[in-house]
Amino acid sequence: MEEPRIGVYVCWCGTNISKMVDVEAVTKEVGTLPGVVLSKNYKYMCSDPGQDLIIKDIKSHNLNRVIVAACSPRIHELTFRNACEKAGINPYLFEMANIREQDSWVHTDRTEATKKAIDLVIGAIRRVRYHEPLQKRSVNVDPATLIIGGGISGMTAALEIANAGKKVYLLERTDHLGGQVARFDLTFPHLSSARQMIRPMIQRVENHPMIIVYLNTELKEVSGYIGNFKARLVFNGAEQPEITFGNIIAAVGLKPFDPSVIAEYGYGKFPDVITSLEFEDKLRAGRILTKYGKEPRNVAIIHCVGSRNKQYHEYCSRVCCMVALKFVHEIRAALPDANIFEIYADMRAYGKGHEEFYAMTTHKQIIFLMYDQQKSLPLIREAYRDDDCNMLIEMNELLSGIDIEVPVDMVILMVNMEAHDNVKEVVRTIGVSLCGNQFFIEKHPKLDPVATTTGGVFIVGTCQGPKDIPDSVAQAKAAAARILATIAQGSVPVEVTTAVVNESFCCGCQTCISVCPYSAVSFDEAKKVSVVNEVLCKGCGTCGGCCPAGAITSKHFTDRQILSEIEGIMSMSY
Amino acid sequence: MSTRVHPELRNQLMQFGIGDWNACYHCGTCTAQCPLSEEGFLFPRKKIRLMQMGLKDELEASVEPWLCYYCGDCSTSCPRDANPGELMMSLRRYLTSIYDWTGLSKKFYTSELWELFFILSFAALVVISFLLVLPSMGFHFTRELTAEGGVQVNAFAPIHVVETFDWAMALVVASLLISNILRMYYKIIWKYGNMKVSLWVHIREFWLLIFNFAVQPKFNKCDDKRYWLSHWFLMSGYTIMFIVIVVYLPWFQTERILPIWNPQRLLGYYATFGLLFGLFVAIFGRLQKKEIKFLFSHISDWLFLAMLTLTAITGILIHIFRINGMPLGTYISYIAHMAVLVPMILIEVPFSKWSHLAYRPFAVYFQQLKKYAVPR
Repeated sequence: MEEPRIGVYVCWCGTNISKMVDVEAVTKEVGTLPGVVLSKNYKYMCSDPGQDLIIKDIKSHNLNRVIVAACSPRIHELTFRNACEKAGINPYLFEMANIREQDSWVHTDRTEATKKAIDLVIGAIRRVRYHEPLQKRSVNVDPATLIIGGGISGMTAALEIANAGKKVYLLERTDHLGGQVARFDLTFPHLSSARQMIRPMIQRVENHPMIIVYLNTELKEVSGYIGNFKARLVFNGAEQPEITFGNIIAAVGLKPFDPSVIAEYGYGKFPDVITSLEFEDKLRAGRILTKYGKEPRNVAIIHCVGSRNKQYHEYCSRVCCMVALKFVHEIRAALPDANIFEIYADMRAYGKGHEEFYAMTTHKQIIFLMYDQQKSLPLIREAYRDDDCNMLIEMNELLSGIDIEVPVDMVILMVNMEAHDNVKEVVRTIGVSLCGNQFFIEKHPKLDPVATTTGGVFIVGTCQGPKDIPDSVAQAKAAAARILATIAQGSVPVEVTTAVVNESFCCGCQTCISVCPYSAVSFDEAKKVSVVNEVLCKGCGTCGGCCPAGAITSKHFTDRQILSEIEGIMSMSY
Repeated sequence: MSTRVHPELRNQLMQFGIGDWNACYHCGTCTAQCPLSEEGFLFPRKKIRLMQMGLKDELEASVEPWLCYYCGDCSTSCPRDANPGELMMSLRRYLTSIYDWTGLSKKFYTSELWELFFILSFAALVVISFLLVLPSMGFHFTRELTAEGGVQVNAFAPIHVVETFDWAMALVVASLLISNILRMYYKIIWKYGNMKVSLWVHIREFWLLIFNFAVQPKFNKCDDKRYWLSHWFLMSGYTIMFIVIVVYLPWFQTERILPIWNPQRLLGYYATFGLLFGLFVAIFGRLQKKEIKFLFSHISDWLFLAMLTLTAITGILIHIFRINGMPLGTYISYIAHMAVLVPMILIEVPFSKWSHLAYRPFAVYFQQLKKYAVPR
């Protein structure tokens, strides 16, 4: 091993670090340690002059290891790695000590904080000695994309990618495109027609030369990795020729909740208790009639059916409140004299134009009645013989505290959106995970909401969580943009800091295979050892931690590196 | 026991001046800042909720609308501009029509044409009585003055005939009003909520009724004290006038011109001042529309103020013309006075806005009874 020549740079971060850490003292203290060639501090290491300082020193002092003691590596590790690369040394010969988030920001005693900074820098110095140069790798990307689900999200993504001249395989389980949106009459809050929106879109998808639509088709198996996937499809029970593609978009959507499990609502027992989707069917047919062909005089709309209730689903379906208000407009237009009851648990009008839509709807002569999900659900029962209505809803009205009975002829249940029955098979096939609500988990809930932890697999639309049409469309276009970017590059970088199996130590217990969250480890039956697919591996280190034989090493996180760092941190005894 | 929702109540209430009540989102600011709202009798929010929900029975059993004196603070502080104060005012109109068993109140509140027709008919009957009926009974118009130089009022408007008529009118109004109050009692105390109030409590708390009628202490709990004063002047002036005209007419309507410090004249002047002051505040306020309580004027508000003002002015004119020996002016003012006074008392007191003179103190009394109610 070559003799380390380490350069240490301590950052002031303006006053962020310097007000709580004596930067000069740190610089001085670590400057004399073995292997340290120079030790400097600067006001902002991440600034261009700061980076230039590192680059110049590497060249003039022939440094082969660099340490920056500054903020979190999440923020600037890449900045400094790039600086190292510019100066001609391997970026993995760099190490960062976090003396801001882990030190100056969280302590109030300047002396103690300074000592801690010294400890952290010493840890980095001990660790960086054992850093090894690692080479960046990339894989080529097949320009075709597989989209699972022919709803508005899947079709939007398909058109976006196909319009850029790239091939799309659009897979749909049912016999038609359009998804749930195809069942809607009008959309909120502008009351524009869903049909006029979705029909031309279906036409464009079906006629697009770059989109191959598979109807009545299921996904049997997916293999491969980012840029190079293969899939087997099943059409009407018969297996289709294998297709290859570079990226996957899951747009499988959600399905309406079946309210017959809620005894209080008598769905299935009372013919005029219907779901919101069934009411959409009536609206599209153009007539609001009860089972007996009469116009209802009293229509009740019950919110949160299967939503926000621990017994069914704890989450909010997001769109039902606005759909219910949309129903008010449609009912009021068709039946000007009808009494309309909005039986709600909370009115959620979070989106653009939604609060205004709510305010506008309150003028439509409707009666808002609030119920408490936690206490009891409204109870629907048959009316008395001398009542001039079909049914009565008994409920405790929350804002008045009064037990009331509401005369109704038709009840619309605003059903929750829930996962499809086969969602677990889908996620297993494409290698992503589900949250407790059976929604697909995104890579980062805020900063990367369309990607997944599996490279090349993206999620769009409601399968990621309930959302309305604009949000689904935006997500679909975002995923399309991400995929087109990788196709345009022709290749994608893959993780460098992967796990490696030392075959002579591996006992073949396969513990690593069972714990790997990315399905990156497989078993070589011939050699009876585990094998890591370096393209799928994200370097999380789980397998290395579990391996009873100590056969797995994570690159850049070797035992030696980690133990040296710990020794370094513990070396000073105050 | 569940209370039935009456969705059609919405349409009925709208005829009493209630506009868009879905504006309220039940923050409760109105109730929190109302100095009159108290535990067990919370308003306005709770009453607005009953209206929104169409809970007709609960609403009709409510005593709270009468406990509100409409200072308007609730409307000022309402973050949704739902006008809780005006909603309470509209509720009082609705309740007046509900207590009234004849159905006339509802007619008057919901159609100004009906109200005008009745007012004008009564006025016409009064004029006809003075011009045709009384002369046929031997009473006449005379230019002769009394020894003191006053007008001979009793020759034209014979005191015993007018007094008899007064008593008859008072009897009719009282029986209407009392029957309505009984209905109010039935809805608020008797029928509702499975409760019982002992006879002793009824007797013990009766003083509250008298006290509240005379002083309106609840009104004085509002933060703005000015209107309590102007209202009290108006009320006391009106009450004094009513008592001396209806009960002590022979003492009040004299041909002799008494000295200015005589109680008859002093009481008359005080009552006139009280009426004019109260009327000025109310009319000026409603025209200026600076205070929220004066912002919305139902047609019934204006009709009432107009009739009371006309009554006061014609009464003043009678007095001036009589003591100055101007027979023609006296007689014309007298007829005009009666032509306004009679419909005002016959229509406003049992059927319209003036009925609050009874409902408000009774509401305070009923509220007290409810506090001492025990489960049946």
